[in-house]
Amino acid sequence: MHSRFYLSLLLISGLLVISYLGLTAYHAVMPEWKYYQAEYKDLVVKNAKDDATRKRAMAMTLGFKQVYLKDLKREDRCINCHAGVDNPLMEGAKVPFKKHSGNYLVNHPVDKFGCTVCHDGQSFATNEKEAHGKGHETHWDYPILPLKYVQSSCAQCHDFNMLAKNGGEKVAKGEELFREKGCKGCHKIDGVGGDIGKALDGVGNQPIAYFPMKHVIGERTVFNWLKQHFVDPRALVAESAMKVKLAAGEDDLLTTYALSLKSEEMPKKYRRINYANPPKYDGEALYKMYCSACHEDGDKTIYDEVFKRTVPAIKNPSLLRTMNDANMDVIVKEGRAGTQMTAWKSSAAGLSDEQIKEIIGYLALKRPAEQHEPFGLAAFTGDVKHGKEVYEVNCSVCHGKDAKGGENLLGISLRSPVVQKKIDTELLAVTIADGRAGTSMPPFIKDSEVLTKQDVADVVAFIKEFPSAAK
Amino acid sequence: MRSEDVQEKDEKVSRRDFLTISALATGALALLGIVAGVFRFFKSDASYEEARSFKIGKPENFPVGTFRNIADKKVFIVSDDAGVYAISSVCTHLGCLVYETDTGFQCPCHGSKYNQVGKVISGPAPRGLPWYEITQDVDGSLVVDSSREVPAGTKNRFS
Repeated sequence: MHSRFYLSLLLISGLLVISYLGLTAYHAVMPEWKYYQAEYKDLVVKNAKDDATRKRAMAMTLGFKQVYLKDLKREDRCINCHAGVDNPLMEGAKVPFKKHSGNYLVNHPVDKFGCTVCHDGQSFATNEKEAHGKGHETHWDYPILPLKYVQSSCAQCHDFNMLAKNGGEKVAKGEELFREKGCKGCHKIDGVGGDIGKALDGVGNQPIAYFPMKHVIGERTVFNWLKQHFVDPRALVAESAMKVKLAAGEDDLLTTYALSLKSEEMPKKYRRINYANPPKYDGEALYKMYCSACHEDGDKTIYDEVFKRTVPAIKNPSLLRTMNDANMDVIVKEGRAGTQMTAWKSSAAGLSDEQIKEIIGYLALKRPAEQHEPFGLAAFTGDVKHGKEVYEVNCSVCHGKDAKGGENLLGISLRSPVVQKKIDTELLAVTIADGRAGTSMPPFIKDSEVLTKQDVADVVAFIKEFPSAAK
Repeated sequence: MRSEDVQEKDEKVSRRDFLTISALATGALALLGIVAGVFRFFKSDASYEEARSFKIGKPENFPVGTFRNIADKKVFIVSDDAGVYAISSVCTHLGCLVYETDTGFQCPCHGSKYNQVGKVISGPAPRGLPWYEITQDVDGSLVVDSSREVPAGTKNRFS
């Protein structure tokens, strides 16, 4: 029954399997790291300064190595190729045999920390491509960090004050920029911050799939996305309302900081962060952190191209003269519904009453000494009907027919709950009478006598009656 | 004619038989290879456990007279005139960690006592405390390998 055809088939397939097995066996016996270890051994023998070291180097066995890190939930196998990472003989050797730079390993010995806790990459892998985790086909969300971003990992265990002085300058600088540029005006971290942008908790170790990578230039990694997004947000996310004005190099610093915002906490025995004394910021610092992104330095009214509306100058002396602290407090706490101005009270954007007081205190430094003249609204009884006529003639041009303000209208919304319920009417009357210097709000009594005091009282009454008096 | 005769004599195995035999042989070899390969992969290169060998530092950190208890590695490192040696701190009875006394070691759990070289003096412990091999790595630091026991009394001087 041996037909010639089947015999030849058996012969050919047998030979194929044998050669394939031979290759596999060779590959199993000589994996990539073994070549590196052999080369490392030669290097150590060559660099040995005395006979004893040379003898020890000769006796080195090639074999699979790993650092098992129970608390960090990982096994780091990088040392199979990066064999000289803590060997002083390898000071000037080439990668991957080079000794680790600086004296980081003195306080972070490899057998306690491994490698990936700082450098990322895939620690289970036993070949370079997989271990470095670069490229889409490695299916790894945390490719090895470029050295310029590595400091982001320091912040997992250390606070920024300490890092600023001890080799974590980049990430500390990034954190400072993050405060100076007012990123939290739109982004929440730990529940504190505005809500125009996304909350940034854990952004540093979010999977690649969370990011719209379509328009990223080059490798589609999280750090490339972050960097390019800092340079030009709308290139990556068309509908983004993010404002950035960065000097050269600041994009990398901010990327380093963003990468440090990890969702997982380090085990206690690794952490050196002191939560007992969180840094306290004064009014000016808080203003920068939460307000400056939109209001900039607060000295002039800005027409915002992205928001398509004017952002008021909140250090305008005219505004500060009219508005006392209590009214400022109301506006900061409640925000302005229908605009980008967030309600900053602790139950919304998360600023404590104390912090809001600090910010208002800082703004109040600019308050002129002379007080505005009191209007004395209490002496008048407003006539809603007449107020409506006055409103339509004088106010609706800027504030809109329905007083909601909005796009292409100079005036703010008068329908927001703040104006309707929280602000005292005296303030409204004074504002109408005296106008708001430095903005488009003209004075209607002072110097112009367009309206009488009674007219103003009527308009105020009408504004207060909006919800019921509206058509 | 003559050459054909010669061929006849030389060809003890006909071509057909040769092919048959070689085909079966390669098949058998391939099977053998597969079986061998399967057995090769029964043993893994890496295990999910703490490394059994660990660095303890440079020899100059262990001057004569040093006695150090490395608790998280469960080992005592001792250095005397004869050299450095490593004694396990795991009681051979039920695995509690022994502590140092004036006369040697004692176990807090069931009172096993060992002398200074780890030999059992009294108590439930069935065996003395094992001694582990100490070698020197290429970067000069000492390495204790708790998977390799050495006879009690093995002391080496490193520089």
